[in-house]
Amino acid sequence: MTTSWWEPAQGGAGPRPYVDIGGPAGDRDPVAASSATSGVRPYLITQGRARPNDTSLRLEAQVSTTDDGARSLSRLAYERHDIVVLCHDPQSIAELAARLHLHLGVARVLVGDLVEAGLLAVRHPEDARHRVQIIERVIRGLQAIS
Amino acid sequence: MDSKPSADVPVRRPPLPVKIVIAGGFGVGKTTAVAQISETPVLTTEAPITEVAAEVDRTGLVPDKTTTTVALDFGTVAIDDEVKLYLFGTPGQDRFGFMWHDLTVGALGALVIVDTSRLDDCYPAVDYFERTGLPFLVAVNLFDGRLAHELEDVRWALDLSDDTPVVTFDARDRASVRDTLVTLLRRSLAMASATGV
Repeated sequence: MTTSWWEPAQGGAGPRPYVDIGGPAGDRDPVAASSATSGVRPYLITQGRARPNDTSLRLEAQVSTTDDGARSLSRLAYERHDIVVLCHDPQSIAELAARLHLHLGVARVLVGDLVEAGLLAVRHPEDARHRVQIIERVIRGLQAIS
Repeated sequence: MDSKPSADVPVRRPPLPVKIVIAGGFGVGKTTAVAQISETPVLTTEAPITEVAAEVDRTGLVPDKTTTTVALDFGTVAIDDEVKLYLFGTPGQDRFGFMWHDLTVGALGALVIVDTSRLDDCYPAVDYFERTGLPFLVAVNLFDGRLAHELEDVRWALDLSDDTPVVTFDARDRASVRDTLVTLLRRSLAMASATGV
């Protein structure tokens, strides 16, 4: 498949393009729409696990595809495949969940598995040591917004 | 720069993520505030609420365990070439108690948006942030540009400490949302400096 069906529909989707899960498909891509309403129970996808093995995985943790991950695409299917494709562009677990119409908990379990398998790399949020400097940076960044 | 397709670039260095939580009752203006400041369209994801009973101590108010979901709206702001700010908006209701830990762990702070006509909607969020020591600010959303109660009344009604900021803001106004976040972060900065980390 050459088209990026997982990308959000361009234009006309309004400010909350992912909010219409389960509603009428509207102008959304039919593939994405059907995957969003497949009726598969979320935890079937994760074999019943509600928590990742690595419970330190935060919702904002940045996930990116490793070289191994890029090479392994042909072996992957469904959600795992889509996650590894999407993470060529590093993004948070929360963003992945929204883009793939997965529950947050499910996305976190799948990401945890793929990290363990070496197909994804994670950049965790900074620990408390640099908190003051980071807060100062965020203040400056916000103040620059006009 | 941020949204470029990456077919030609195998892997970019991921940003350093930081987050602020935006709490408040339904329809109080959380998503509006996130949308004003976010550089990306507000995304929505669903978080299952199946572990409710475990972490909520107001047992009388907790419903039976269910498998319903709650929508989590969020947006992002690129702070500089490395730091990326996530703003997570969440309904601050009792029965969503279990999500608080996952949502708030490591957060820089929390904005509690209140509608003074439904002040009790924000009690669970305020309780939680006070208990866990997360820096927070109470922002009274000025519906119709009018303030129904004095800010000191709000402080009294919520039994807030003197150093918890209470401000008014307009969730529909970008500059107002920005300034409110900066006020929150100054509070976070003061608390972080005081603890010497």
